[in-house]
Amino acid sequence: MALINVPAREIHCKIVYYGPGMCGKTTNLQYIHSQVSGEHKGNLLSIATETERTLFFDFLPIDIGKVRGFQTRFHLYTVPGQILYERTRIAVLNGADGVVFVADSQRDKLEENVRSLRELAVNITKQNKKFQEFPVVLQYNKQDMPNALPVQVLDRYLNSLHWQRFEAVAPQGKGVFDTLKAISKLVISKL
Amino acid sequence: MDPQLTSLIVPTEEVSQIEECLNHLVEDTGGNYALLLDKSGQVIAAQGDGSRQDITALGALIAGTFASSREVAKLLREKDFRMLFQQGVRENIFIALIEEQWILCVIFNKGTHIGLVKVLTKKATDELASVLERVRQQHKARDEVLGSSFRTSMEDTIDLLFRD
Repeated sequence: MALINVPAREIHCKIVYYGPGMCGKTTNLQYIHSQVSGEHKGNLLSIATETERTLFFDFLPIDIGKVRGFQTRFHLYTVPGQILYERTRIAVLNGADGVVFVADSQRDKLEENVRSLRELAVNITKQNKKFQEFPVVLQYNKQDMPNALPVQVLDRYLNSLHWQRFEAVAPQGKGVFDTLKAISKLVISKL
Repeated sequence: MDPQLTSLIVPTEEVSQIEECLNHLVEDTGGNYALLLDKSGQVIAAQGDGSRQDITALGALIAGTFASSREVAKLLREKDFRMLFQQGVRENIFIALIEEQWILCVIFNKGTHIGLVKVLTKKATDELASVLERVRQQHKARDEVLGSSFRTSMEDTIDLLFRD
């Protein structure tokens, strides 16, 4: 649930990057952090294991600046993707205003994507929210891999709700900001 | 519209009541800092030692800790843990849940007794619960608060800022 603080004239929104392990959620945040200018971003906070896998979450506050007198902040989070951490994902998802579902486009990852998306639907529903109406944007990451599935195939298995979706190669930044723009606008439209 | 998707709008009067309540809590416990968070980790109000840095990250981490502890509680067939206490060498933090929606945190050092913090936090959570109830009851339209052209202006700003 977004928070509007009237006297401080501030708006806070929470966006969570969700998806299976190693799909590129943290890479999305790292790229955003590397590109957004200093006055608009806070530190990128990562709670990771010794092998750089996300253990709890990554957190990046982005300050859009003043819009019509309201200071607007987006708080970007990632969840840990590994199956082991389902309960942690529920914890991070708590109070989210929108989700970016990052899918790994590689053929051998399709089943993991489908499972992760199903889990997301269950977890959103558990928060008493209707999944069909919840703001979600899809990102088909790793489109540069030789075994990447075409978008039409990914759509068939992952996009039955016809969300906006973007092809991406996160380490190079391809599709990263398009995805962020789409989810930010969607969240703002639901304020 | 699904009420879960609408924003929580905290008006001026309620924010000043919250700040007053946090201020009393800091003064009466002799604590260093008191913080009210939304369960998603966003800071609603903070009072106390002004030099504290990075409140935003603190809010995200405390809310994460609380959400995580709730999942632990479920595994133990508890509904949730309503209070958490973290003890450091210099500073301690006491965290209490308010009506499943807000999180109250008090940061204090060894000069303050945990028993006092517990009792006064309980009193403060009762006060804040009634403020929360009033906030929930208000059905101010978004346009009334933000203005009707807010969305278009916001979209333009997003386009300008989010690019490689």
